[in-house]
Amino acid sequence: MTRQNHKDTLIDLLESHGGPGFEQAVAEKCVTAFNEYTEDVQIDKLGNVIALVRGEGDGPRPKILLSAHMDEIALVVTKIDKGGFLRVWQAGGFDPRTLVGQEVVVHGKQPLLGIVGSKPPHLTSPEERSKAAPLEDLFIDVAMSEERVRELVNVGDRITLHRETMDLLNNRISGKALDDRTSIAVILECLRLLKPMRHVADVYAVATVQEEVGVRGATTAGYGVNPDIGIGIDVTFADMPGQDADVSFKIGKGPAIAFGPNIHPKVFQGLRDAAVEHHIPYQLELSQGPTGTDARAFQITREGIASGLVGIAIRYMHCSVETGSYDDIIDCGRLLAHYITTVDAKTVEGLTCY
Amino acid sequence: MKDLILKLAGYVAPSGSESAVQEALLELVKDVADEVYTDALGNGIAKKSGNGPHVALAAHADEAGVMVIHIEDEGFLRVISVGDVKAQALVGRHVKFTNGVTGVVGVESKVKLEDISFDNLYVDIGAENGDVAKSKVYIGLSGVALEPVVDIDEHKLAGRALDNRVGCAIAIEAFRQAAAAGHNVSLVFTSQQTVGARGAKTAAFQLQPDLAIVVDAVPAGDMPQATRMDLKLGAGPAVKIMDGTAIVPLKVKDHLIETAKKEGIDIQYEVWPRGLSDAGSIQLSVDGIPVGGVSYPARYVGNTSTMVDLRDAEAAVRLIVEAIRSY
Amino acid sequence: MLLKKLTEAMGPSGFEDEIRNVIREEVTPYVDKHYTDVLGTLICEKGVNKNGPRVMLDAHMDEVGLMIVHVEENGLLRFRPLGGIDPRVLVSKPVQIGPQKRFGVIGAKPIHLQSPEERTKPLSLKQLYIDIGAKDKDDALSAVKLGDVAMFTTKYEEIGDHCAKAKSFDDRVGCAVLVETLKAQFDLPLYGAFTVQEEIGLRGAGPVAYRLQPDIAIALEGTVCFDVADAPGHGQSTIMGKGPALTVHDGQTIANRRFLEFMMSVAEKYSIPYQLRRVKGGSNDYGAIHKVREGIIGGGISVPVRYIHAPTQLISLDDYQNTIRLVSAILTELAKGGFTA
Repeated sequence: MTRQNHKDTLIDLLESHGGPGFEQAVAEKCVTAFNEYTEDVQIDKLGNVIALVRGEGDGPRPKILLSAHMDEIALVVTKIDKGGFLRVWQAGGFDPRTLVGQEVVVHGKQPLLGIVGSKPPHLTSPEERSKAAPLEDLFIDVAMSEERVRELVNVGDRITLHRETMDLLNNRISGKALDDRTSIAVILECLRLLKPMRHVADVYAVATVQEEVGVRGATTAGYGVNPDIGIGIDVTFADMPGQDADVSFKIGKGPAIAFGPNIHPKVFQGLRDAAVEHHIPYQLELSQGPTGTDARAFQITREGIASGLVGIAIRYMHCSVETGSYDDIIDCGRLLAHYITTVDAKTVEGLTCY
Repeated sequence: MKDLILKLAGYVAPSGSESAVQEALLELVKDVADEVYTDALGNGIAKKSGNGPHVALAAHADEAGVMVIHIEDEGFLRVISVGDVKAQALVGRHVKFTNGVTGVVGVESKVKLEDISFDNLYVDIGAENGDVAKSKVYIGLSGVALEPVVDIDEHKLAGRALDNRVGCAIAIEAFRQAAAAGHNVSLVFTSQQTVGARGAKTAAFQLQPDLAIVVDAVPAGDMPQATRMDLKLGAGPAVKIMDGTAIVPLKVKDHLIETAKKEGIDIQYEVWPRGLSDAGSIQLSVDGIPVGGVSYPARYVGNTSTMVDLRDAEAAVRLIVEAIRSY
Repeated sequence: MLLKKLTEAMGPSGFEDEIRNVIREEVTPYVDKHYTDVLGTLICEKGVNKNGPRVMLDAHMDEVGLMIVHVEENGLLRFRPLGGIDPRVLVSKPVQIGPQKRFGVIGAKPIHLQSPEERTKPLSLKQLYIDIGAKDKDDALSAVKLGDVAMFTTKYEEIGDHCAKAKSFDDRVGCAVLVETLKAQFDLPLYGAFTVQEEIGLRGAGPVAYRLQPDIAIALEGTVCFDVADAPGHGQSTIMGKGPALTVHDGQTIANRRFLEFMMSVAEKYSIPYQLRRVKGGSNDYGAIHKVREGIIGGGISVPVRYIHAPTQLISLDDYQNTIRLVSAILTELAKGGFTA
């Protein structure tokens, strides 16, 4: 079957639930999705899904790791309070102001729909309204008696956002977990386009875990795979009024290619050359230190791994209405596929020549 | 168990200066181990080969403290914190250094209580001048704020260093029993935990076990207006679900919970979002090490005196031994 | 003059090309072999097949700097720091940008136009620009690229009583100590690692330690010194002119007491002045190195540097010479089996 593209797969991934450390449901879907391109799919000790698409020719082939993290920011039950209301803390960085009034799914013995409670305006004083409630003071209401709640929910159970993905204008979509499951779609688009192309490099497509709590999955995946080149694929910031110009990228204008100390200069060059040669629109993302992505871990794994970073721009990061463009996803996939075809033994040799 | 805890809590072992306590700890397991040693970072390690998967127990041996950083001409000492110690909490306390020298913590006058930092503190060891002081202490010498361990009631103890000498005692008991039963176990008394789980990192790389169980204190939340932690003193050990450094894999967490159920051990669940433990350093070593945690609730974690319930510690031993047997 | 060459070369974190070339040229005649790793660290080997403990000496090549990230319509450049720079030291300083080392200046609103209140507040990064004389945005972009990096322009000069001023003594003074050490002969396997990206989180040192697996590692640094007016004894960290400073406890390391005492005993045996670095903050590459693999024994030796991370830094040349002597004495004693790792 020749696929048009992986947009349906992406929507299915977005609507699956998987906070840091409990990505199993998303992982299963990633396994299925990767299986379209390879039978060789494994899950490592932390839960990273690692799919190997072999390159041409007899050994030793260059190893390129592409990683997209599959976890989404989540909440964790810290206490079942009187009346069965749930107190929570976060796994990943929420802006508590965006949580008030949200619908959530509590992953107890069975999934429960819940609401992040808010005090009605009738009962709130003007001073209260001018203040944002801290996360500690929020509570989740699953509309059940305390007794029932205690039967079904334990301290430590996870909570994720409940949001159906929406189609917006211009092939843009909006929903939860675009950070970073759009990058899993990027990998799938890359593999789809790569299939008829010739490449020497072995490609390890990796859906990593626990990025949102400190790039943990990438740390062990990088060590285990030990690639020559590790490319993190992660979303970046789309432009918004009041945001600094150098951290504001355009939706629909192609992937951002990162440059800076965290990025191997030759990997950056290779990616940019691929974009130029194949007329793929791209944007330059500058960073001045370790990035908050899987590339941060790859670079200093073992004896050091040449790292790269690309990604699409999305708006409203870490909200339940993250918004991005599928066109950018396809362009980012194309970029990676074309770059991969340029990598050979000589490229790898060049990585340690300064 | 109580005697063991009291003995261990007597040692002064600020992070990086654990050698005396490590010697004592390893002495307590030497007879059942194949091998005991301390490594480059100061971890105390005991190994016993046996049947089944290799399970490592990790309990940090260190505690937060202070270090001499300057000796004034007048004989007073200036100190910095080692690990998370608040300057305000030291004022007026006795400090005991690892070489036995004891002093009193003073504070410069004119400094308001809320503004006190280590810059305003000094330790008075009664030295008449700098030369006398230098004959008793040296820059780099570490110590701790003293607080004797006392019996609160039949089951409870309170005092200094219970976090984590209680964990060391639990790990010792569990290791001895598991080793005697022929299991493949090792035990690490980790060093430098309070400064960022440094020892655990290199220990994990050395051992690369099939499962690591971290034994440490977790703050109870059963005091007036306490932080929302659903943990009570005396209600049983807590199975770690997550802390600030690691999320325990479901398989490990479920194994510990199932084991407790089968053995009829009452447990609680640890969700300690900002908690720092050895778990993360171990989990992220090499290509990943399955990690779990069995914690004992303790009140006032991070303060000079913590309170624990011995019944939680005893149940923790049973839980760990059984979890090793059935893993 | 080695210190002049090294301090005036460009090499902000992640962009160490020029300084690496300078060092490579300096060490080539004296080492058996040199190569770079994937992050760009320059590794030198000397007598690695000899008996004795395998020692790795580390000095970071990178310096704090700036990166051009945006150009305003009027041609002024926006920048962000690479590494820890206090924005307060930037005002009224020249910089050099990119491979062409184009001059630019960081100015400020004239004092005449400032309100009394404005004058009391430090300028934030958002209020600072680099002016390269461009007429507008296009003109600026014809001369510099986004992502170009910039460094301070300070010249190396000897001043005062046997002191020297320059930019980036942190850590070019450590690099100079390492270069001088590699010129000498020692009867043990010696590795010199000129690392990258120390200033942005000790990034380069871990991978090279992982690769070399030394028995002993020593970081050679330029470190905080604030023995100036009004600083109390416990707020100085180190004193200029009192000799190399040995790390006791910093943000990333608690000294291995046995190795620290070994270094102190060597200094005493060879009558080399030394002091202890007495501050908790800051760190050096040994902080990353000692946690690698099973753990690596070692420590940190630093030359005190006044006004570290600022455009003009100050060292005592006696401290510099004594640091070279101490490192040499330590290697000699290590070769004799004076310390067992």
